[in-house]
Formats: sequence, structure tokens, C-alpha cells
Amino acid sequence: MSQKHQSETTVAVESLDKVYESDSRTVRALSDVNFAVEEGEFVCIVGPSGCGKTTLFRVIAGLEEATAGGVTLDGEPVTGPGTDRGMVFQEYGLFPWRTVSENVAFGLEEQGVEEPTRSARVDEMLRLVGLDGFADAYPKELSGGMKQRVGIARALAVDPELLLMDEPFGAVDAQTRDMLHGELLDIWAETDKTVLFVTHDVEEAVTLADRVVVMAANPGRVREIVSVDIDRPRERTDPVFAEYVERIRGLIGE
Amino acid sequence: MSNDEVNANVAFSETDERARLLDRLAQFSSEQTGLAFAGFAGFLTIWYVAALFQPTYLLPSPVEVFAAFVTELTAPATLAIPLTGIELPATRLLAKLVQSLYHYVPGLLVGTTLGISAGIAMGWNDRVDSVFTPVTRILRPIPPLAWIGFAVIWLGVNHKGATFIVAIGSFWINFYSAYGGVEGVSADLKEVAATLGVDDDLTMIRKVVVPAASPSIMTGIRTSIGQCWMIVVAAELIVGVGVGYEILNTAQNLAMDVSVAYMLVISLVFLVSDGLFRRVERRALEWRA
Repeated sequence: MSQKHQSETTVAVESLDKVYESDSRTVRALSDVNFAVEEGEFVCIVGPSGCGKTTLFRVIAGLEEATAGGVTLDGEPVTGPGTDRGMVFQEYGLFPWRTVSENVAFGLEEQGVEEPTRSARVDEMLRLVGLDGFADAYPKELSGGMKQRVGIARALAVDPELLLMDEPFGAVDAQTRDMLHGELLDIWAETDKTVLFVTHDVEEAVTLADRVVVMAANPGRVREIVSVDIDRPRERTDPVFAEYVERIRGLIGE
Repeated sequence: MSNDEVNANVAFSETDERARLLDRLAQFSSEQTGLAFAGFAGFLTIWYVAALFQPTYLLPSPVEVFAAFVTELTAPATLAIPLTGIELPATRLLAKLVQSLYHYVPGLLVGTTLGISAGIAMGWNDRVDSVFTPVTRILRPIPPLAWIGFAVIWLGVNHKGATFIVAIGSFWINFYSAYGGVEGVSADLKEVAATLGVDDDLTMIRKVVVPAASPSIMTGIRTSIGQCWMIVVAAELIVGVGVGYEILNTAQNLAMDVSVAYMLVISLVFLVSDGLFRRVERRALEWRA
């Protein structure tokens, strides 16, 4: 998996500033953020709360505008949300009135994908995330881990360039989280997607990422980018793993 | 991946949960049914005993009311279909009820449709909201029946006048429920939809906002189904047709047993329409937690 062909830049964040201004004060959420994500790469963004990682995620998603600088995707500037970036949210964001398969089909409907291609694609995605038996269930009937699998399937269904994930496993228990890490890496290997994954959990970042973008707060900025050179699957008990965790924690100042 | 394990766990806890819930419901409902029956029997007994010592025109007994109900239900009458000139054989009660439905159904449909549409438009668009908020604040407190003068002058003492009043009543109920529902739609869901390719307002409203607001919209419709029966009776007192008018007309002739029978008709049609809509609502919102 670490032998991936990595040559083309998928995401480039260049001199990005994000300033929130209100009547009383100015908050500098992001200051001169620069980094790039190569095609097929798995990059995690970690940092303490208030470091602007969620703001960064939202700017890359096109849900918020940069104050200065910008983001490009395959060389094209990001100007708004789009199906080239599949989003996975911490709170799942599933449409509760739609069944699992209808949730996964949502983006395909918007793209005008007709039956039977649409159903075939939905089935393929549900198999990929291991939910093929739950096509007709409503989100309320699913556990947190299963809900997030639906979120991943829905994001992948429209075949985005980039999978953007904002603390996707923050709301599930530790045991389920370990299982989902393994599944996500399998899915990544199978689909060759580029993944940008925001988390505050350093161990999670070291488990998953090819490279970890370590951020600092006040103002939100990139402190360092750490390449994690450990073969997958990675074990937390591995001393090298522990060294990476220690080093990144040191950078964050935990 | 240990999906089977997860599935098995979920299946187990679900059946477990369901069994416990059904168990509790069964106990609950048998006790409740008993109490409800006792309450109803007690009410009838007190009414019956009280009526023994009063003339019918002051307090008709439940037996007299029931007899009057049966008489009205079976006495032959003709039913005129408005706008067509057709007259059908019917019974007195049925003819009055159908007259009321002529006001109730179109008034409810028009008021509900306009109310939901206006609520969605104002809930969705801040500019529309700003423009219309002062007007809605001024018009909202006016009771629907206060418009009766205009209803009569504009539309005449007829079906249209009563329909107009019913429409105003259901408009406001549905307007506020739709408005509140749309305002409460989570920003997350709209953002998710935007990242999945929804880039125009109409699609967003149709595929995200309306379904997300549907529990609130449904509550509005159900409330107006009930409230509009109250409004229709009041409007009919003035326009002079239907069940509402019959309640007043019979009372003016001191036929209180007949009057109460027609009061019960309102109660019955309300219970039936509310019960039917509850079923529709439950099916439409089965996705809700």
C-alpha cells in the first residue's frame, strides 16, 4: 500500500488565510496554510481544538470561502461544494427519511444516473462497506458505526476525486473505531481514492496516514508535516508507532 | 470484517427491545382501556341521572339524544349538489353533514396548501421573510371568524363565505407549522446535499427541506383538520347551512335533544378524520426515531 503511484497533486492548499470578523473582534482562524496532497495519498490533519482544522476542512469542501489564498483540486480552484469531493461528517449527516440505499443513491440521482445503473452502483457501494443486508433499513435502526459506513458509501457513490472526512469516527466507541479503521484502509486500497482525514486523535492519525499535517493554534497554522513510514497494518504496540505518536504529541504540545 | 457479529448483535438487541416494549404496552393498554371505559360509563350515568329531574329543553337525557340521532340519521331528505342542480335522496343528518363538508373540505385544502407554501417560502428565504413578517404579525391575531363580514359582502351568505372562513383558519395553522419546520432544518443536511450535487433552491427545498420539515408540516395539517371543524360550526351559524347551523336552529326551537345529536356529529366526524390522518401521518413518518 505504501508503494502507491504518487506523482500528481490532487489537493493544493496555497497561502490560505481565513479571518472571521465581527463588530467587536477579529479572529484569525487560519494563517498562511500550505500543503499538498498527492493522488492516492492518505493524509491526516491533527491539531488541538481551536487550531482551525475544521475551518480548513470546510474551506477545502467549498462550504466556506478563504479570506486570502486558496485551494485547488486537480489544478482547478475550489469555489463551492461539489461532487468531486465526497464528504463524511462526524454526525453522519444521513437523511433520516431515506433508507440506507436511498441515502447512498442521493448523489447519483442528482447526477442523473438512471436505473438500473443507479441501483447497481448502490449495491456495489453497500457491499464495499459491508452493509448489503441493510439496504431497506432507516438510519434510526443503525448503530453509529453502521451509520458512518452509510456516510462513506454515500460519499463514494458519486466517485469523487477526494474523500474528505471530518472526525468521522469521533462519535463511535473505541472498539468499533478500530474496526472501522481497518475497513477504511481496505476501502482506500480497493478504490484508490485520495483521502484527507481530520482528527484530534494522534493515534488515529498514525494508524491511518501516509503523512500527518500537524497544526498549531492561535493563529491556526501548519507546524510540521510528518511522513509515517510504517507498513500497514500498523500495531499500536509497535515501538516505532509509539515514537511517531510521541513526536506528534510533542509538536502539538500535549 | 466482523459484520455478522454486528448484525447479530443489532438483531438481538432489537428483538429484545421490541419484546419488552410490547409487553409494557400490553399491560399499559389493558389498564388504560378499563379506566377509559369506567370514565365514560360514569359520565353517561351522571348525565342520565341529572336529566331525570330536568325537562328535555333544559337537559336532554342520553337516551333522548340517541333517539334524536337515529331519527335524524334515518329521516329522508334531499341532498342538493351545489353548482350542478342535481338532487339526490339522502337522510336529514347526511344532507346537513354533506353541506358542512362543502365548506370544510375546500376550505381546508385551499388554506392548507396556501399556508404550507407561504410558510416554506418565508422559512426558506430571508428576504421574503423580512418583507412579510410585519404583515403576518398584524394579521395573525385576528380570529378567522372576524372576517365573516367580508366573507358575506364579497362572497355572499352561502357556501363560499363559510369556505373562506375555514380557509383563513387553516392557513394560519399551516403557515406557522411549515415556517417553524423549515427554519429548524439542520444546516448539516443542507451542506451534505450541496456536496452531493444539489445546487439550486428548488431541488434543495423539494429533496431536503420539505422532507426534513415534514414532521412539523404534518402536525400542522392534523391540527388544522381538528380546528377547522370548530371554525366551520361557527361560520355556519352565520351563513345558515350545515351541521353548525342545525345546532343553533334546533336549539332555538328548544329541540335540545336534536341539537346535542348534531353536536355529537361534529365530535364523531372529528374523531374519524383525526384518526384517519393519524394513520397517514404514522405511515409517512415511520422513518422517525
